[in-house]
Amino acid sequence: MNGTDGEHEQSHERFAKKRFFSEELETNGDDLNEQLENQDSFLFQAPENGNVIGSDGPVEPQELQDMIPDLSGSQAEKLLARTDVDDDRNTRISSAVSLYFEQQRKPERTERKERVSPAVRLSNVLDSRSSSGQGKKIRDYGERLPKKVKPSVQWRRFIGSIQVSALATRPTIKPLKYGSELRITKSCGSEVSSKLYYANGRKRASMANFVRLFDVGLGREVGRVPEEVAKVLFPLVDSDELDFEATMIYCNNRRLSVGDSFIVQLDCFLTSALFDNFSDMLERGTDIFNGEKRGFTQNVVENEGELRMKARRLALLSLFDQVQLQPVVLRTESSPEHTPEATEVIDLDGIDGDQNLPEKDAIQPSQMQEDVLNVNQLKSLYKATLSMESSKHLPETEPNPEVFKLILRRYQKQGLTWLLRREREFDEMPNTSSSSEDIDGDMMNPLWKQFRWPKNLSWASQKINSIDLDSQSDEEFFYANLHTGEFSQAKPVLKSLLKGGILADEMGLGKTISILSMILTVPFDKKFCDMRTVEGAEATEDAPFDILQSQTLDRTKPYAAKTTLVIVPMSLLSQWQQEFEKSASGPDAHCEIYYGGNTGSLRTLLTKTKKPPMMLLTTYGTVQHEWSRLVNKSTGYLEYDTAGLFSVDFFRIVIDEGHTIRNRNTRTSKSLMDLSSSRRWILTGTPIINRLDDLYSLVKFMRLEPWSQVGYWKTFVSEPFEKKNYKSAFDVVSSILEPVILRRTKQMRDADGNRLVELPPKEVIIERVSFNKHEDVLYKYFLNRAENSVREGLDRGDLLKKYSTILVHILRLRQVCCHADLLGSQDENDEDLAGNKMLGETFSAEKAVSNETAATLAISESEADAIISNVRDKYPDEEQYRKLECSICTSEPIDPVTQVVFTECGHAFCEMCIIEYIRFQSERHQNIKCPNCRSEVDPKRLVAIKEMPNKELTLILYDTGSKSSKITSLMKSLKRLQDGCPGEQVVVFSQFSSFMDIMEKELSASFSKSELKVYKFDGRLSMKERSKVLQEFAEKDLTKLKVLLLSLKAGGVGLNLTCASRAYMMDPWWSPSLEDQAIDRIHRIGQVNDVKVVRFIMEHSIEEKMLRIQERKRTLGEAVDADEDERRKRRIEEIQTLFE
Amino acid sequence: MASLPKRIIKETERLVLDPVPGINAVPHEDNLRYFQVTIEGPQQSPYEDGVFELELFLPDDYPMEAPKVRFLTKIYHPNIDRLGRICLDVLKANWSPALQIRTVLLSVQALLASPNPNDPLANDVAEDWLKHEDEAIAKAREWTKQYASRK
Repeated sequence: MNGTDGEHEQSHERFAKKRFFSEELETNGDDLNEQLENQDSFLFQAPENGNVIGSDGPVEPQELQDMIPDLSGSQAEKLLARTDVDDDRNTRISSAVSLYFEQQRKPERTERKERVSPAVRLSNVLDSRSSSGQGKKIRDYGERLPKKVKPSVQWRRFIGSIQVSALATRPTIKPLKYGSELRITKSCGSEVSSKLYYANGRKRASMANFVRLFDVGLGREVGRVPEEVAKVLFPLVDSDELDFEATMIYCNNRRLSVGDSFIVQLDCFLTSALFDNFSDMLERGTDIFNGEKRGFTQNVVENEGELRMKARRLALLSLFDQVQLQPVVLRTESSPEHTPEATEVIDLDGIDGDQNLPEKDAIQPSQMQEDVLNVNQLKSLYKATLSMESSKHLPETEPNPEVFKLILRRYQKQGLTWLLRREREFDEMPNTSSSSEDIDGDMMNPLWKQFRWPKNLSWASQKINSIDLDSQSDEEFFYANLHTGEFSQAKPVLKSLLKGGILADEMGLGKTISILSMILTVPFDKKFCDMRTVEGAEATEDAPFDILQSQTLDRTKPYAAKTTLVIVPMSLLSQWQQEFEKSASGPDAHCEIYYGGNTGSLRTLLTKTKKPPMMLLTTYGTVQHEWSRLVNKSTGYLEYDTAGLFSVDFFRIVIDEGHTIRNRNTRTSKSLMDLSSSRRWILTGTPIINRLDDLYSLVKFMRLEPWSQVGYWKTFVSEPFEKKNYKSAFDVVSSILEPVILRRTKQMRDADGNRLVELPPKEVIIERVSFNKHEDVLYKYFLNRAENSVREGLDRGDLLKKYSTILVHILRLRQVCCHADLLGSQDENDEDLAGNKMLGETFSAEKAVSNETAATLAISESEADAIISNVRDKYPDEEQYRKLECSICTSEPIDPVTQVVFTECGHAFCEMCIIEYIRFQSERHQNIKCPNCRSEVDPKRLVAIKEMPNKELTLILYDTGSKSSKITSLMKSLKRLQDGCPGEQVVVFSQFSSFMDIMEKELSASFSKSELKVYKFDGRLSMKERSKVLQEFAEKDLTKLKVLLLSLKAGGVGLNLTCASRAYMMDPWWSPSLEDQAIDRIHRIGQVNDVKVVRFIMEHSIEEKMLRIQERKRTLGEAVDADEDERRKRRIEEIQTLFE
Repeated sequence: MASLPKRIIKETERLVLDPVPGINAVPHEDNLRYFQVTIEGPQQSPYEDGVFELELFLPDDYPMEAPKVRFLTKIYHPNIDRLGRICLDVLKANWSPALQIRTVLLSVQALLASPNPNDPLANDVAEDWLKHEDEAIAKAREWTKQYASRK
């Protein structure tokens, strides 16, 4: 590439020399030998075939050469010398020939050296007819022309040949001789690369103009090569990293005119220089990647050197392509090597300049939406990331009981070993034998491809007993990174300096405890702190800098070397704090919550005080909020932060429920990326939710080079995946993840075959509830409307346009299933409808209708008065209300008094009892008679007691519609539970926070305070309230039933509610996995009782159909929370299921 | 086993602590909804001096649904069939959740005291009863002596 005129001259000199050799071959053979001996290695390569032709001449070396055209004169002499002189002519020839072939089979170095001769083709060989038939085999022979290779080159190895149809540029008097060596010269050595290339790598000028073929024998230019070869040769020919040999192999045996074509075999060699150059880079570790980043990001204008590098890289790619050198495919199942398709990843288009990878990335972010994983892919990926075998045999690390109070389970101890290894904290482990090799494994960097050295088929080695620079090593393979143009003989093991990783144990395996055990074992940066004390004593200046360098790039921020920042969803904040306090011991261990308010002092607290908190807890929201405040809208860069989270460089950051950041375009995700720390951990039970790119955010957060460069990720993961090149993408992903992820599942067994976790059995029952009359009317009304709407949409084919309308219809139906009062309560928890205007607009009409339907069932006011006064007459004293007995449940008195419901005949019952009785009778189409006096009971003519604000009790007409069937069923179940086992704790899940409000109200009203206590946990609670609620709920009270109303959204993740062993799911969710996750709040480690879950489903309603959808999702698998468009498409299908 | 409603517990306690004269009902150890019952034949009835064994079962829907009661001891009665099934309104249509085990058993006892051949369950017995009341009563006494005498 750095061709100069000087070199050009030099090559002329060589040609001159060569001609000289050819003339004085025999006499000067020894000189040449000497010269060749100066080279390190001359391997004798066996020609595969040589034509042996009988001859009648005297036994002369010349004869032998006739038979074996490739043989040099001196070689022939040597061979003949070894044959028996007494034998007859023919025998001597044949034994010489067989000697020739034998020797080639087992070449000996010494002999070879003797036999070395300048490799010049003899004219009689070339002239013979027989040899012209071998045209295609003709190769070039390097030794003939002992090049003045640069001192850096010790050897070279053949990688392949290209047959080039060259074009004569000068006429010749006679045909070019077969096998004559041609030199490749560059006629524009002084041209600056930038004149030859455009910035995008496209050639500016035709390379063919600059690459010429020189005939060594004639000593002048004879032709030029076609463009596609020239563009390969041009950037490479001057480099010492490659070696080319061109041999004339066919020219139709007549003189050439300008424009005639002749065939040249171009043998290509890689030289040691190519590998040496790289090994320097290898030393520098990941710097190689950093150096190459620019090539991908393309933001900077490339300078001269970069342009050359690029040209070189593209030329190499093209060369490999043309010589058909393909990466080796390893078939071992564990190692994610390249499939044949994997080679497609190498994008050769760049040569033509019409496609530019990085630019493509920038332009087409929408492309990402295509690549949603299907279940099987997801499964196989998970399987790939499941570090089953390796994790089974991890040694166990027992945390020091002085700092960590809890007892870890076996797999958690193994997990601790892994965690410490990932942090290179070998001192803390019992067996110090482990080293960093164990951590990173010997996964080959997937950017690199493994190539097998091809057999030397070069013209020279085939046709002549060539001794050349070739193949000094026995290595079978070499490795190349065709994306950066780097080469190596050693396997490039994927190494990273990353400290941290992904702990992706399945839910309920105790990720929190595991990570806490690590935090407590290695609470601060020992090196740094040691150094600081040294620094304090000796005031050295260089040392701390070194340390810092290894820590982080962010040297401008003070280093909070003693603090681990833990970022969690708000609902888990207090749980983390409690877990920390439960497990930590020792005076240094303290944990602070950084949430709202006290921002002023953080930097000082962490870096200037003597005892900074060991663990600082904060929420995603807090980080995002601070970030939003700091980020400069126009530049996207962070302003300098002087006090908050972004003002310091943390020792360690742990993010819990790390999949929160899976979408890298969200503010939360962006803000997390900007936090600095020397160790970065991600905890998540579900590293991938639905697309491969979910992982990218995690990789980026960990700063796992080079994958955290979006270009790399795109090129090796996203794009192969989009091109349906799944295996390739998965292979890369699993090799990226393998060293940094630990994932165990509950089903896994340890080395002894025991389950990692034994949980008590879990029983999930579906309880079908039927509508009461009021609900039935209401439901039918809404169902009718919804069906019409869907039908219209289907008929007109614009179902998608009506999507949000239909969602509202569905919501209405689901609401009626829960409680009529939910209609119109804007439920912020229903994410599908957030911001849907239709909710508010149409609601008033719907409410009116619902009132109307209620009204048709009701009775007139005067009648009501009559009924009430009738009852009132029977109980003249208000105090009597408080002493009533229910004959159905035999409660005495009915408590609270608001539970009393009178029949028209004046008999008192608990509300629940009489409603249940009415339901029971009407379901069986039996008369509803007063249990006490057998007079007819009209459910519309019941009387209830209302407690006025002044504590006075009034009788009102009982509204049967006010109590939803579901709540009634729940109450019935709770009542029974309260009867049977008071002191039980129960979790009630719902998606509708307004439904939870209603339940809270009704449960409190239906049970006396001594029997039952209701807690409510939803998104509206503040952090403090949350922890208070959870704490109180967890306290055992043997006399009371404790009910926790939990919003599926707010409490679906992370919470540990093992104090309860029963749960009720009030409404089905679209995604079964979300429900499962909710159930796992109680069915997890620490649960000692059998778990019983009741799911209430309204009979013959949309909920039953939702169950069906859930079932389908369960079998087909599902992608939770797919992005908006994807989810819509899926929902349309679901809608059809719902209304079919 | 599903938890027992408070009402059943209450009723059981009361049956044990405050038994009805001539009636004994004890829940089964394994199933608290299953009772072993004995009823003494009412005086001045053909079943006098007899001790009749019955079984009583409280279904899941109790008290919305009536308990299921059946004679285990052979009895000659127009409203009780050969399998011991009882024709009694409160066990069927006239059941009310306000009724209890105790009241049901009292009703059974009352049925022994006053057979109602006009609403028969065992048709042959009822026929006998209507045609030859004396003979029928004698047969009932005989059966009582034979099958239900106090051991």
